[in-house]
Amino acid sequence: MKSVLVALSAGAALLLTACGGSPTGTNPSTGGAGVPTPPAASLTGAGATFPAPFYSAAFYAYNQKFSQVTVNYQSVGSGAGIQQLTKKTVDFGASDVPMSSTELAAAGGADNVVQIATTLGTESLAYNLSGVSNGQVRLTPDTIAGIFLGKIKKWNDPALAADNSGVSLPSQAITVVHRSDGSGTTYIFTDYLSNVSADWKSGPGKGKSVNWPVGQGAKGNEAVATTIKQTPGAIGYVELAYVLQTGMTQASLKNKDGSFVIPSEAGATAAAKQFPDVTPAQFSIVNAPGKDSAPITGYSWLMVYKDEADKTKGTALVDMLYWLVTDGQQYGSNTHYAKLPSNMVNNDIVALKTVTSAGSALLSVPAPS
Amino acid sequence: MRRGTAAERVIPAPLVASSRQRRLLAGDRIFQGLALASAILILLIAAIFMVALFLPALPAIRRFGLGFFVTRTWDPVRQIFGALPALYGTLVTSAIGIVIAFPIGLGAALFLAEEARLGFLRGPLSFAVELLAGIPSVVIGLWAFFILTPLMRDNVDPFLRQTLGFLPLFQGTANGYGYLTAGVVLAIMVLPIMVALSRDVIRAVPRALREASLALGATKAETIWSVILPYARVGITGAVLLSLGRALGETIAVTMVIGNRPVIAASLFSSGYTLPSVLANEFTEAVGPLYQGSLFYLGLVLVLITIAVNVLARVLVWRFSGSEPASL
Amino acid sequence: MSRLLTRVLLDRFVSALIVLSVMLAAIPVLVLLLFVLIKGLPGMLAPGFFTSPPHPVGVPGGGVFNAIIGTLEIVGIGSLLAVPFGTLVGIFLSEYGRNRIGDTVRFVSDVLTGLPSIAFGIFGYTVLVATLHHFSAVSASVALAVLMLPVVLRATETALVLVPQSMREAGLALGAPRWRVTIEVIVPAALGGIVTGALLAMARAAGETAPLLFTALGNDFTQVDPLQPMGALALTVFKNALLPYSDLQDQAWAAALLLVLMVAVTNILARVYVRRIQR
Repeated sequence: MKSVLVALSAGAALLLTACGGSPTGTNPSTGGAGVPTPPAASLTGAGATFPAPFYSAAFYAYNQKFSQVTVNYQSVGSGAGIQQLTKKTVDFGASDVPMSSTELAAAGGADNVVQIATTLGTESLAYNLSGVSNGQVRLTPDTIAGIFLGKIKKWNDPALAADNSGVSLPSQAITVVHRSDGSGTTYIFTDYLSNVSADWKSGPGKGKSVNWPVGQGAKGNEAVATTIKQTPGAIGYVELAYVLQTGMTQASLKNKDGSFVIPSEAGATAAAKQFPDVTPAQFSIVNAPGKDSAPITGYSWLMVYKDEADKTKGTALVDMLYWLVTDGQQYGSNTHYAKLPSNMVNNDIVALKTVTSAGSALLSVPAPS
Repeated sequence: MRRGTAAERVIPAPLVASSRQRRLLAGDRIFQGLALASAILILLIAAIFMVALFLPALPAIRRFGLGFFVTRTWDPVRQIFGALPALYGTLVTSAIGIVIAFPIGLGAALFLAEEARLGFLRGPLSFAVELLAGIPSVVIGLWAFFILTPLMRDNVDPFLRQTLGFLPLFQGTANGYGYLTAGVVLAIMVLPIMVALSRDVIRAVPRALREASLALGATKAETIWSVILPYARVGITGAVLLSLGRALGETIAVTMVIGNRPVIAASLFSSGYTLPSVLANEFTEAVGPLYQGSLFYLGLVLVLITIAVNVLARVLVWRFSGSEPASL
Repeated sequence: MSRLLTRVLLDRFVSALIVLSVMLAAIPVLVLLLFVLIKGLPGMLAPGFFTSPPHPVGVPGGGVFNAIIGTLEIVGIGSLLAVPFGTLVGIFLSEYGRNRIGDTVRFVSDVLTGLPSIAFGIFGYTVLVATLHHFSAVSASVALAVLMLPVVLRATETALVLVPQSMREAGLALGAPRWRVTIEVIVPAALGGIVTGALLAMARAAGETAPLLFTALGNDFTQVDPLQPMGALALTVFKNALLPYSDLQDQAWAAALLLVLMVAVTNILARVYVRRIQR
């Protein structure tokens, strides 16, 4: 047991060192002012894999800070996050798409659920081509749609060559890798494709699971990334963090303004700036204008019930979520997510303050100005 | 552990002269009642098991009926669900598994039961087969994902395309994931069952038959071919069916290499889906009664198929050897 | 003469085929174990593997302590449910079960043996998780217990049936009631078979992944409360294998090696025990 503690504190020390270099400079061991101290609780959440690297780092840090709280997050996909919240088998669900009106109805109506944005991420098209380096492959909305519709089958297809003069693309078959589970990453990607391609819109359409014309499925962002790494000639859509953390190569994407950008945190922030009025009902920020905007960008959301039966657990939950959208954001920067814009943080806090147990509000922080 | 002969252990002395007959009978009745209750409880559990699959499946059964089995679409966006791709994938991968495992398993079983030469290999081989039976499916999946998949993609699949490429089965691009790789994984997983059961069946062939055949001047091969195999045919069929039952329901290892796409493709290099893989991937996330019901419907189909195959297998093995096959 | 030659050659050929198939059967086992050993050892020797729970990506020193505890606890509770219960049903089958109820139970238990393991996960989710509104270790234990039951009860029955009838008669002739004869004579005499069955069932349960996916769910923190979600070695292997991070993949191989060792040790224990009893 002692060695466990030693190992734990060693890990914590490393994490602290890592955080020291973060742009915010906040020391998590002291915390920002006003982060409430939660009561003891074991919280369980499930859902999106898109923000999973951020969540796992943040929840680990939260446990280091407040050892009385463990937040067990299982990245099983956005679809599962929403479904398990509806079935009330988890304390919070996570999804990169807020719940639809049908899904909200199944969970007892829109008034029953609080949805907050927790982080901002962008998707990359990662590829596995030997001899072609990062950012060298340039993809346009048309070629992306062509590849995922199965119309462009080889890397040296003339349609690709047109945008990639100077890059020697091999005569290798393209293996498309997509998600096999219900996924918010898929939603954001197919939302983008439906925005830029009429063929896609009238064909597979947008959704957390779609009927893929081509390719092969893997479960979670993790497995898509692993499969791409394993398979020469593969391409797939994954959240930026997975690409950067594992040193994969990704394509430059042509955005709405016609400039090629390599997806990055800055690109995500630039895209989000174009849509200041995001709400759970109006959440799509793909294909943003602006020359720096990363085209396949989205917020990741987290859902809790407004009325918490267990007051202690409910308090721990909102305290933790408050931390997540404020101080906890630094762990997003460490794992290549963009920070939430301040207006979104304010929306989140207002929403969290509506969470109650037996009629009394659980979050005891002042309302944002 | 108490030692001693049976007689020493039999009965504590005071009871022998007991006059409390009625109380003893009551004890018997209570004990028998307890045993009976537990036996009935297991029937109850099995009933709950089936109900727990059937009830949630009802919305999909009502909506799709038997058309479920011939519908090729599995589209959660448009809420159209058909079992055909997963059913096809399950049958194809299991068939590949059996086609590979059958000759190898039968050969190994013949070796264990018949071959006198190289007898020193028998012990280690039996041990190896038992070891393989005990390796968890997720470990085989891990190995298949990292080791087998690249091997299939870079060596086996190109070879098959070059030599047998005139068949539609071996055309198209191969990336290592798909029916064929899943079939090979299943072959490895059912091999222990094939070997162990066939060995027992072959051993049950009466010695006199063998000796008569050899005495008449038949070679070993001829004895195997015209005496042992015909005699053991029914039992071996049972062994194949039990292996099939295992292959049909295998979940984790197949999910890791099948490619997970609800399509039907002629090429064995293609990605596909199997009934258990659909469940493993989509069960926790199915939103709405129809999607969820369709998954339960798939589960129900899977369970009914495996029950049918297993019952048939057990009847065959039983009829042949007069004894129950070991639980594997 | 040439006909004889053909026959002899054919015989040799068949023998060669048989030896070839033996090799083909043995090779996958060896290759598999070799890979698990080679790829698993480094991860197992990494600091913290046995003593610390997982760390987020980029924080070294993470391990599978949570999963080891989880596997032991989930399988332990499952065995507590399945072994006494299965033994009792086995006693019923051998001592009172030569009738229609007995045959039905035998049939149902055989059917349960052949069911796909994922079906047990669905059962656990529908019956426990969805009704209690919580993923929990205990729901996984129940799912595994149902999976273990047939193995335990058939092993018990087989062992009990093998106890000589004369022992039963001797006991009864001495005036002992049947239940005492069963508990104090028959069951101890068959204990070897019963324990073996229980150990084999535990070994199988420890390696199962599919029944845990929808019940135990997994947990990156060390959790001992059976009513909470819990990690398990099989889940660690499945989840980490698909992660794109090489250190966590190493951990998957190491967890696989640990799992294989645990299953193998349990199997060997069962066999050693049988041998000791039989002597």
